Amino acid sequence: MFDIGLVHYLTVGAILFVLGIFGIFLNRKNVIVILMSVELILLAVNMNLVGFSSVLQDLTGQIFAMLILTVAAAEAAIGLAIVVIYYRNRGSIEVEDISTLRG
Amino acid sequence: MIAALAFYFFAAILIASAVMVVTSRNPVHSVLFLILCFFNASALFLIAGAEFLAMILVIVYVGAVAVLFLFVVMMLDIDFARLREGFQRYAPVGAAVGGVLFLELLMVLGTWRFADDAASLRINPTTPGGISNTAAIGRILYTDYIYLFQASGAVLLVAMLGAIVLTLRDRPGTKRQSVAVQVARDPKLVETRAVALGAGLDTIGIRRPLPPPEPPKKVEHAADHAADHGGHH
Amino acid sequence: MTEPLLAEYFPILVFLGIAAAIAIAMVGGSVLAAHQKPDSEKLSAYECGFEPFDDTRRRFDVRFYLVAILFIIFDLEVAFLFPWAVTLGQIGWLGFASMMGFLGVLTVGFIYEWRKGALDWE
Repeated sequence: MFDIGLVHYLTVGAILFVLGIFGIFLNRKNVIVILMSVELILLAVNMNLVGFSSVLQDLTGQIFAMLILTVAAAEAAIGLAIVVIYYRNRGSIEVEDISTLRG
Repeated sequence: MIAALAFYFFAAILIASAVMVVTSRNPVHSVLFLILCFFNASALFLIAGAEFLAMILVIVYVGAVAVLFLFVVMMLDIDFARLREGFQRYAPVGAAVGGVLFLELLMVLGTWRFADDAASLRINPTTPGGISNTAAIGRILYTDYIYLFQASGAVLLVAMLGAIVLTLRDRPGTKRQSVAVQVARDPKLVETRAVALGAGLDTIGIRRPLPPPEPPKKVEHAADHAADHGGHH
Repeated sequence: MTEPLLAEYFPILVFLGIAAAIAIAMVGGSVLAAHQKPDSEKLSAYECGFEPFDDTRRRFDVRFYLVAILFIIFDLEVAFLFPWAVTLGQIGWLGFASMMGFLGVLTVGFIYEWRKGALDWE
């Protein structure tokens, strides 16, 4: 119990991942909270990568975690830009309205 | 021992704040809990020995992404109570999907083990002692992983261009400051005067004529006064 | 797993503990010791003696958002510069050229936003 190993990190990562998925279902109307849930999911992935990197004594996981950070920041930037412009056009950010974009 | 206790402490706060992120009613509170989440995740990274990543998580996420989320939450000025409709309606579905997913992950965790030769398949072993985590990352990120590094540069470029293309719009009729024109103005066309200390506008003779006095208003005096007060806030 | 590294960070943990203890002691002490008799008049907003006119949360301009986005991008760029600066002596010309390529790509974006006027305030 007092020896922190890979399983601990994987468990924390799994719980974070599930919470992220749960958040996406729970906040169907608010895009901003959905984006935050996606950030939580990416954080869970990072947690797994760092845990494996630490146990295997291999730096590759940390390199990939940095790349995921980059992708997450870019995703937040583009996603929030879409939110801003969607609000400017529609006056709301309800995700359910987005289905009207379908042809 | 201390590391283990710290791990449990930070992990507990991490998960609790993650729960608050997805369930809190006010999105501003969600963002603040997201910041707490990233702080604790960075502590966990530190316990795992990923020093550099922990610091980057604090700098990039807590410093930038969370502030950006707060910006958008405050910028959009939405009726958030209306956005929470359907919270109870979606909760069972979300809980079911999340529970199934969590059970699957637990099953994977329970029966999973390393291959026997996993330790010998290391690509970039962390060098024990001597160099720091940051230096160890720097040694391989820019040379061994040069393609991924350049690709991340391209991703950042696309994010930058996308944000500009999506949100920037030209507003006709607004005036911009043109620094070059200001700097390159002809000094002969502008008159500069040496003004004595304490000289008023009347003394120099550049005072504009006063506008004709308006007839005094009698009604709505109290309302005007209140509006003046409001302007100060 | 990483005992010697964590030993270096032990003082920070101690500081965190002290900070949390002091903060909890102050807030908790004032909650426990102070007389609190809230009524509707005490809890109402005090603003120069009259009710506030409108919501204090008002919309910001979208241009703040654009500035924040560009800040994130360049923040990450600087984050990538740190390990490069630490190990520049060991990664040779390939590492140097790799970072120059990365910076060049981002400079293209920077020139674009400059020419588009995204950084101007109007």
